[in-house]
This record gives sequence, C-alpha cells and structure tokens, in this order.
Amino acid sequence: MYLLCKWMTKMRSNRLKIVFMLCLAFVTTGGQHFESKVAQLLQDETEHIKCFVEGKDLTCFWEEEEERNHIHDQYTFTYSYEKKNKMACAVSSLYLLASNKTILFCKLPKTPFFTTLDVQVLRDGRMLYTRSLNAENVLFLDPPRNLTVMSSGKEGQLNVSWLPPLLKYMDDSMIYEVRYAVDGSNMGKVEVIKVSTRLVLLGLQSNTRYKVWVRVKPDGVAYKGYWSAWTEPVFGVTPPSDVDPLIVLLVIFIGLILCLLSLTVILSHHKFLLKKLWPDIPTPEHKFPGLFTVYKGDFKEWMSHNNGSMWGRSVPVYTEELPSPLEVLSEVSLTSHGTSQREERKPVEEDEEKESERSDSGLTDRWRDPPHAHWLMEQLRALQENPESRSQSSLLQSHDTYVTLNQGDNEQQVDDVFEETLPLQTLFTTAGTSSLGTSHSDLGSLQQSSGSGRLSSQSSFEYPNHTWPPKGPGYAYMAVADSGVSMDYSPMSSSRIAELGKHRMYTNDYKNEIFPHKWPLSGQYIKSG
Amino acid sequence: MQTFLGLVSVLIVFVWLGGKQVFPLQPICDLRVLDHFVREARDSVVIMRGSRGGCGAMKSYFVPLTSVDFAFWEHIDVQELAVEVQTGLSLLVQALSTAMKAVSNSRLANALDNNISNIHSLSQILHSLDLQHARSTVLPDDSAPASTQTQEVSSLPELLQVQSSFLRGKVRLLLSAAPACQRQNS
Repeated sequence: MYLLCKWMTKMRSNRLKIVFMLCLAFVTTGGQHFESKVAQLLQDETEHIKCFVEGKDLTCFWEEEEERNHIHDQYTFTYSYEKKNKMACAVSSLYLLASNKTILFCKLPKTPFFTTLDVQVLRDGRMLYTRSLNAENVLFLDPPRNLTVMSSGKEGQLNVSWLPPLLKYMDDSMIYEVRYAVDGSNMGKVEVIKVSTRLVLLGLQSNTRYKVWVRVKPDGVAYKGYWSAWTEPVFGVTPPSDVDPLIVLLVIFIGLILCLLSLTVILSHHKFLLKKLWPDIPTPEHKFPGLFTVYKGDFKEWMSHNNGSMWGRSVPVYTEELPSPLEVLSEVSLTSHGTSQREERKPVEEDEEKESERSDSGLTDRWRDPPHAHWLMEQLRALQENPESRSQSSLLQSHDTYVTLNQGDNEQQVDDVFEETLPLQTLFTTAGTSSLGTSHSDLGSLQQSSGSGRLSSQSSFEYPNHTWPPKGPGYAYMAVADSGVSMDYSPMSSSRIAELGKHRMYTNDYKNEIFPHKWPLSGQYIKSG
Repeated sequence: MQTFLGLVSVLIVFVWLGGKQVFPLQPICDLRVLDHFVREARDSVVIMRGSRGGCGAMKSYFVPLTSVDFAFWEHIDVQELAVEVQTGLSLLVQALSTAMKAVSNSRLANALDNNISNIHSLSQILHSLDLQHARSTVLPDDSAPASTQTQEVSSLPELLQVQSSFLRGKVRLLLSAAPACQRQNS
C-alpha cells in the first residue's frame, strides 16, 4: 500500500491527488504503529535483518548506515521457502524523526507461515545480510483495544477489561500484561494473565486514583513474538473504605447491651464496690460517742462529761495519785530496840499465838512472824503514844513505810549478805498519827496477807522522802508500787532465799533503780523471817 | 437351548449397536491438548540438539508441506483441509518411525516414540470432529500427495522442524476451524 501511494504521488492529476491524500491518511493511521514497532525493534532486535509480522504480513527492515539519495535503488531483498525459487520484494525507505535514522524495509505480499523463510539483502548485487526465520515466531501485535477500568464496588479493587487486537486464529494464544500504579507515582506493579481479557486488581489503596496499562504478546506455544506497545493509560479510582452498616449496627447493639449490664451490676452492688474501691478511713468515733461531733475533739471536755460511763467497765481507772513504790528490805536489825521490844514481845506472843491460830489457813510456814507483825502493830501504837521515840526514827518519814524480809532464823543464811542491820526503832517513823494510822491499816492488810508474801492492792506504801542508808548488795529490795497490781514475789520468799543462800544469790534482788537517791528511813518495817 | 438363542440374539444386538456407533464421540475442541503435543515435539528438537549423533544417519524423509497462507486459508474448504492434514500426519508417523530406528540415543528415541503416540492421538481427535465423511468425498491419491503435498528432508533436525511446524500450523488451524468446534464456540 505504501508503494502504491508513492507511485500515485508521481501522478499530477487532481483525482490522483485525492487518492494520494487518502493513501497518506491510511498510511499515517497504520504508520503510527508501524513506526513505533520499527523504532522498538531497532533497539531490541540484534539481527541485521529485523522482521516482524504485523497483521498477516511479514515486514523485514534494516538500518541504513549512510545517508544516501535514492538508496533504495541499490538494495535488493529476496526470500524463499520450502526450497522454492527465490522471490523478490520491493524495498522502501523510511526516515524516523525520533531516532534520526533511515531504514529500508520490505513487506512480503503473501507471507507463508509455519515454514522456514530464507531472506537475503543484496546491495549492488552482493549479499549484505541473510537470515532464516519462521514467520509465526516474529509476531508483533498491536496493543489491546478498548481498555476500561471500573470500580467493582469492593474496597481496594478495580475491574480491568480490554479487547484483543484484531487477529484471527490467535485469540486463544495470547498472553497479556497489566501494569498499574498510583497516579503520580513511578512505582508500578505488573500482573500477567493468559487468554482472558479481564482482570480484577486486588490489594489497592482505598479512594486512590490509579493508572492502568495493558500489552499483549503471543503465548509462545503456537505463535511467538514481541511484546506489543503499552496502551494509553486509563484512570480508575478505588472506592473509599466503608464499614459494613450491618457490622456497625451489631457493634452498637452489643455495646448498648454491655453498658446496660455494667450499669445493672454497678447499681445493685454500688455499696460493695464503693467500699472496695474507696474504703472508709477507720475512725475511733464509735468508741467515743460525741467526741468529734459535740466536743470538737476536745478529749478533756469529753472525759469530764463521760467519765464514769465508759471507762469503769473495761479500763481500770487510774487516780491521779502517783504510784508510790514500796521498798522492801530483806533484813533488819532489832538490837537497838531490843529491850523495849522484848519487853513487849512477851505479852504480844500470846496474842500472836492466837493470831496465828486465827490466821488464814493459807498462811504458809514462810510467813513465820505473824507475831512479829502483831508486834509491829504494837510498836506502832507505842510510837503514837510516845512521841519521843520519833526522834530516833529520823530517817523515816511519817508517810513512808518499809517492809523488810528477815532471814536471820536460818542458819544457812549467809551473814555477809545481810551485813547491815538497822535498829528497828530507826526504821519506824515518828510522823503523825495519820500516817501511822494508815500504816496500821496497811499492816493489818499486810498481816492478813498470805505467807507467800503477797501484797494486796490495798496497801499504800509510800516511798520515803528521806535518804535511805545505802544497803549492801546482799539486801534484797523490793519496790512495791501502789499500782493496784498484786505482785507475787513467791520466789522472793525467805525460804527460797534460804535455799539459795548457799549460792549467795538472790532471785529477788531488786535494786532500787526507780528512785536512785537515798531514801530516809521512815515508815514501818514488817519483819518477816 | 432357548436361553442360548436368547443370549446370542442379545450379543448380536450389541455388536450391531457397536457398528452403528449409537454413541457418537464427543468432539475434542480444546486446543490445549494440541499445545501439549506441540511442546513435546519441541522437546524432541531440544533433546536432539543436546545429544551426540543426533543427526545420525542421513536419510531422506518425505514429509508434508507445512506452509500456511492465511489469505488462502480464509477461503479454504475445511474438508479438503482435513484430508490434507490426515495425509500429512500419516507421512510424519512413517518418517518418525524410520528415524527412531536409526537413532542410537535412547532418550531421543523415547522422545520420538512419544511424538508418534501424540500423532496417533491427534488422528483420534480429528476423528472426533466428524470429518471422516470428507475422506469419502476425496479419494486419497498416493501419487499426487507425494509430489504436491510432500517435501523431502535429508536430516532428522529438519524432520523434527517440519513436525513442529505442521502441528502448529495446519493441524491447529483445522481444529480451530472445524465446524463441530465452531458450533461449540458459537
């Protein structure tokens, strides 16, 4: 057709010009693909004679080395197949603007397929190039037609469809390549698909504009060839990501149910939950009714109003009276006061014997001197009546009382332990009768106490204010505080001390540590042996 | 005796039915079967190139013509084409059998044997296309095909190339143009 047009251009009639224009139009239409194919093969094909089949015609071309005028006259193109005679083909030239090159080509009029073709290029009668090929192996198809890209409605998907190039008997031998990329991006992906002219692109971004290209090639089984040119890009937009309304409704419904359940649980157990999450700070207010509400935390005020009601039951009431510890001496000497004592002992002994008979059966042998106690009482009475004896007891205060534990009866007693003995009279107080009276009563209480040496809580022994002569380490002191606590100093009894006398150690060795200063002799002594 | 006669009559009926071919063959129009045979014919070419002594004995083989002119084929008679294809397939079987006997390489011999089996299968496929009535119309002429429908090749590589071209060309076009397959496609 191209040669026909070239021949017609030589005619200078109007009719031929019209025909020429039509030919040009036809050539131009087919030439776009032709030139692009030629340009592509110029780069890709390595053979000197580059051949391709477009439609059903084989075209072979070669590159012109030098620019020459009327070059096509010197070249000759021949071909043969199935050992038949060689046939010639008309040579034409074409100037490629894009690559600034001139090519010479020949299009076979009747192209035999499925047979070996031997082509030759002769220049000035001499063979320039030669090649053997099969026409069905150099198919250069046109790009696919009617490429369309549509949204499938699903997220991240696009439907791509196209039509194969116009070729008979080859529709089932084609393979396609689809290229797609985000609009504006150079990174594209390629999908290969055989025979089918539809493809669904998956895994795309939502609400994104994509560019799609397609090209075609024979699959290589029956026909072989080159990749066609890419189609013009077609744009498609993926649908925006949308949430299934059913899922949204279900989520909302389930959320409402959960909220209702949690509210129900909270309301039914709000007290328990509040107690667990925000526990109350414990206050002692329930033990002190009205302390914080009425008296504003003033404990004194509260106490004054609620003195006997609360405390008498459980807590023992402590008077403001300070405890007065009692110092008990283990040994006391009665030699200085012996005559007056002996004189008074005799009449006392009888009473003491009676006393002993009347004494509590709980009295043990440890309490060996109930007569001594009785004798002490007599002595106290005597002191009350005889004020001059007070002067001898300068060491004792009227309100002071002392109790000594005498271990002189026991021969195993270690004398060195009880070294110091004090006259009895010096131990007695010369104070007023009130203290004696109290002492007397205390003596009485002491007298009634058991032989084990227990002191009742009613005893009111007071600590002397006077200094007390220093005692040796052997004396066993006992400080009895008027704390209302009954003290059992049974291990401190004289018998036990006597047992331990051999070892010269006393378990009831109390030092007067509470009141480290010396105490004057005062009060009464109760001698217990 | 009566049972024996009954059995014989049943057998006769079955034989008659078999001869009548009450159950026609389903046309095999899937070109993927032919593509499979084409690939195996190509494998023989590859094996031949890789084996020593592939060329083997230089013998003359009469093979069919393989060239196809599409312009010509658009107006060709299908039945005439069917006859041409069947003749060419039989020629190929003869040539391949002769070549297999002369080949020493066992692997190549096996490939050639496989090609022969494939050609037999192709004959069955063409038979399924109900093209046999074409045979009755066109009487096979042994002399004419030898001159006009055949060509002579002198080596095994050429023989294998002819086989590949014939299968890809004429046989494939016949299968795609068969009326039975056209009815299925339309």
